[in-house]
Amino acid sequence: MIDQLTSLKPLHPTLYQLASDGTSLDFIFSQCPVCGTVNFPANVPGCSHCGDPLTEAPRLTRPGQGELLEFVTIHVPLIPDMQAPTIAGDIRIADGIVEEGVIGVKDESGLRTGMTLKAIAEVREAQGVYACVFVPMNEEVAT
Amino acid sequence: MSTGTQQRAATSTNWIDQNGGIYVVGIGMHAYQFPTETPYTQLGLTAVRAALVDAGLRWDQVQSAYVGTAAIGMATGRVMLRHLGSTGLAVTQVENASASGSFAFRQACMEIATGMSDVVLAVGVDKHGDGRRAANKNGLESLSDTANLPPVKFAMMARTYLRERGASVAEMAAVAVKNHGNAALNPFAQFRKPRTLDQVLASPRVVGDLTVQQCTPRGEGAAAVLLVSGHALKRLGLDAKRCVRVHASVAGSDREETGYGDAATELVRSSAQAACEQAGIAPTELDLLELHDAFSIEELLYTEAIGICEPGEGARYLARGDSQIGGRCAVNASGGLIGMGHPLGPTGIGQIAEITRQLRGEASGRQHPNARWAMAHMIGLGSVSIAHVLSTAH
Repeated sequence: MIDQLTSLKPLHPTLYQLASDGTSLDFIFSQCPVCGTVNFPANVPGCSHCGDPLTEAPRLTRPGQGELLEFVTIHVPLIPDMQAPTIAGDIRIADGIVEEGVIGVKDESGLRTGMTLKAIAEVREAQGVYACVFVPMNEEVAT
Repeated sequence: MSTGTQQRAATSTNWIDQNGGIYVVGIGMHAYQFPTETPYTQLGLTAVRAALVDAGLRWDQVQSAYVGTAAIGMATGRVMLRHLGSTGLAVTQVENASASGSFAFRQACMEIATGMSDVVLAVGVDKHGDGRRAANKNGLESLSDTANLPPVKFAMMARTYLRERGASVAEMAAVAVKNHGNAALNPFAQFRKPRTLDQVLASPRVVGDLTVQQCTPRGEGAAAVLLVSGHALKRLGLDAKRCVRVHASVAGSDREETGYGDAATELVRSSAQAACEQAGIAPTELDLLELHDAFSIEELLYTEAIGICEPGEGARYLARGDSQIGGRCAVNASGGLIGMGHPLGPTGIGQIAEITRQLRGEASGRQHPNARWAMAHMIGLGSVSIAHVLSTAH
């Protein structure tokens, strides 16, 4: 699978890239040169805290992981081409940054708020890309 | 604490009382309904004509019109209003998602308060649109395709609320039972059937613990109100007993979260508090409250945030019947967004129309007794908030 992944491109190249282990994802942040706030996505046109345009902001790459704050099952497709049921969660991926992500588990039974999730690559072969899915930190998930 | 919203309220305490005050003198509705082939012009004109008749005003007496709409397209107002006669009045379109109509109403208030006009129309009209949002055009990618979809956001807020408050899913679903019941009494509501708790809970699940009957429907409709200055009220000889006075108008947008998930409730809290301060009342003095219950959990969250009940008491406030018609403060006597519907542009103005009808004592079949003070509160995607406080004029 690792060989397969390295030949694919990220679905959202401004957000993440394949980590050195070949299955996990690193997230791409920018750091405000004025106030030091970390922003995500890195290409936001202004710092969420001070409004600096971030034109000189350095990029930071960090392991894609975070604290699960809340989660729900989406029972029906809310947007075109969406699979249901799907589990979505709010994940704190850095101080002050909460992002909604897809959680790659069969049901909610193994999830609890406060647990750490990591971002891994999910192959979308038909599109020739890999996408971001979160799984519990210690879970071995092959996609 | 000095928040921006509070500063605006403190420095503008009296603007709402300028030009002799601001009065709602006429209301008109086209019932909210599921999408049809009816042109929006027909929906809107029905509401405006009804408002003119209700106020006893002629179209050529209206000096300016604000049109709240979110999904129809450019130049909605003029295309519609020319069928009433090309009088040369100013026409302004206002879009602010769910709060489009509320902000159209606020613009009308401000135009009267400045003395620029004495007779102004605020009308909301909408058809069910394609849901295109600016957030999808901002050039930024998201980790999830469902990021920022309201049903997902509020389903997660519901989970957190129920866990932290020790409330049950049934207690949350009771919001929908109440509001469908109120809507069943409202001839302008999209849903006209009362629902039992079992029916609400057994309806298809959408996201998390939210079932379809706990969610607002898609639809269309129109609502119109006519506002006049206090000076015009006397000059035009309008019936003061049927007028409702606007005592506060406050708007804001959200701030950085201080805690997970608190941005929306803090936004509601700060805008409602500032509006009550501007009106000179405590939230507990409100007899009527129309609020944004697109999802059942919102009513529990916002009744606490607005302050008609204590933090953590929302579910018990509802269970005691305090938010029923005839209770301490009738919340969403119209049926709210869950029961009456939420066609976007009309929704905020429909709230004002319902409050006016209630304060006049004309809400036949669903009249809240002895109503004197009311608040219309809306939030909009983004997020923005807006609160108006109104009272009987006599």
